[in-house]
Amino acid sequence: MAWHDVAPEGEFEMDVPKVVQVGEDRVAVFRLADGFYAISDVCTHEYALLSDGFCEEGKIECPLHQACFDIRSGKALDEPAEVDLAIYPTRIDGGVVQFQL
Amino acid sequence: MRTAIIGAGQAGRRTAELLRGLDAEREILLLGEETEPPYDRPPLSKEVLLGEERPRGLMQRAAEVYEAQRIALRLGEKVTRIDLGAARLETAAGECIAYDSLVIATGARARGLRIPGADDPRVLTLRSIADARALRARLRTGLRLVVAGAGLIGLEVAAAAIQLGCAVTVLEMGERAMARCVPEAVSARIEAWHRAAGVVLEFGCPLTAIRPQPDAIHLVTGKGEVSADLLLVAVGAIPNMELALDAGIAVDDGILTDADGRTSHPHVFAAGEVARIWQRGAGRHVRFETWQVAQHQPVAVANALCGEQKPYAELPWHWTDQYGRNVQILGTHSAALEWLEREDGGRLIYFGVDPEERVHSAVLIDNGREATPLRRIIAAEKPIQRNRLLDPSVALRQLC
Repeated sequence: MAWHDVAPEGEFEMDVPKVVQVGEDRVAVFRLADGFYAISDVCTHEYALLSDGFCEEGKIECPLHQACFDIRSGKALDEPAEVDLAIYPTRIDGGVVQFQL
Repeated sequence: MRTAIIGAGQAGRRTAELLRGLDAEREILLLGEETEPPYDRPPLSKEVLLGEERPRGLMQRAAEVYEAQRIALRLGEKVTRIDLGAARLETAAGECIAYDSLVIATGARARGLRIPGADDPRVLTLRSIADARALRARLRTGLRLVVAGAGLIGLEVAAAAIQLGCAVTVLEMGERAMARCVPEAVSARIEAWHRAAGVVLEFGCPLTAIRPQPDAIHLVTGKGEVSADLLLVAVGAIPNMELALDAGIAVDDGILTDADGRTSHPHVFAAGEVARIWQRGAGRHVRFETWQVAQHQPVAVANALCGEQKPYAELPWHWTDQYGRNVQILGTHSAALEWLEREDGGRLIYFGVDPEERVHSAVLIDNGREATPLRRIIAAEKPIQRNRLLDPSVALRQLC
C-alpha cells in the first residue's frame, strides 16, 4: 500500500473527478462538500468509466446504464449494479490530495 | 395470502423481490417456463454472443437467493390456463395452483417470418439465453450471416457477428436503421459504424422467401437473391398474452392495464413487456419493450398488490451498445419533432424539439452523463432557446 498523488487541492472542482491509473486500477477522486473521496472508476455492472458519469449530491451515475453509487461509501444504490465499488482512504499532504492503494 | 407470478424473467423477478420488501408475510410463487433462474436480457445480443458464458451484466442470481427471500421459484413450470372464477392456475404438469392475487409477467417472444422456408433449422431468432448460446455456437469466421431487420437487436447481433469474423448482411424492409426509435441523422451515424466494420446494409429490401439448399439457404429479397449459411430474424417481438386472452382479460397488443398495472380483472396484474400500460401524459395505453419497463413498472405492481399507489410514469429510456459506442434514447421518437444536433468532441446530443422550443425527446451518443439533466429538461416542458441547446459550453445542468 502506498499513497498516490492526485492534484493540488485547489485544482479540484466540485463534483468533477480526477482520475489516476495505478497499475491495473483506475481511481476517481472527487471533491464533495465535506472532503475528498476516492473510488474505483469502473462500474461493477458492465465495463464503463464512472468518471464519465453524472455526479450530484455525493452520488455518481454510470454513463452506460445509469446504475448509481454512493461516492462516500462505494455502495451500489440501484440496479443494474449490485456489487459495491472499492473505496480508498484520502488525505491532503502539503496541499496535494492523495489516496492510498 | 398467496400471490402467484407467471413468468420468471426480469419483470417477474422484480415483482417478487419488491413485493417481498413490502410484505414480509405473504406467500410468493414465481413460476418460470425456462429452466434458467431469472436473468437480464441486454447482454444476450452482445456479450453472450462474443463468448462470455456469464457476463457480469447478465445479473442472474442463484436459486438460493430466492430461497433466502422466501420466494418460491419454480422453473420449467408452464402455466396452461388461468381460471379467474376459481382463482387458480393449471400447469402443463397437471397441477392446480390457487392464488389470491395474480401477476402476469410473461414477456414477449420474437416475431417470426411468415414466408416459405422460414421453418428451416438455419433460420434463428434471439430472445432467450438458450437462443443466444445456440446462435453463438454457430457464429464462426467466414460464416455468411444474414440478419433480417435493422432494429436494435438485429444491429447488435450484426456488430457482434462481424467482430467474430462472420460475413454479415442486414436486410431491412424500411429505409434506415432503427427508424422506429431515432431520427434520420442518428440512423446515418449508426449505419456508418456498421459499414466501416464491413457489414453490408440493404434498405427497402423485404425478404419474401427462403429456399433451403443442402449447402446454403437462398434468400429471395426485393432486390434479388442472397446466399447465407444462417439467417437471424430480428423483426420485433409479440407480447405473450394468450393466457390472459383465454381467461377473458382485456388485451389489445398487450394486456391492458392502468398505471398501477391492474388489468380488467381487479385481482390480476400485468408486469413488464407484456403490459400495455395507461400513460396519462400520452393519453393512451403504451407497451414498452425495454429493460426499463421490466425493471421499474413492477414497482407500481408490487405497491398496488399491497394497496398502495405508485403509478408507472417514467420517461421512456432505452439504449444500445454497438462497436463500443453507447446510444441512449430518451422519450418517444417522433418525426413531428425538429431534431437539433449538439456535438462536443465526439459526444453527441440530438434534441427533439417542438415549435415552442420545448424538448420532448433526445438521443445521446457516448454521452450518458447528460441523461439525467436531459430527463429533467424534458420533464420541465419549458421552452429553451435553441442557441443554448446547441452551445456545448452551456452545461445541460444549467438548463434544467
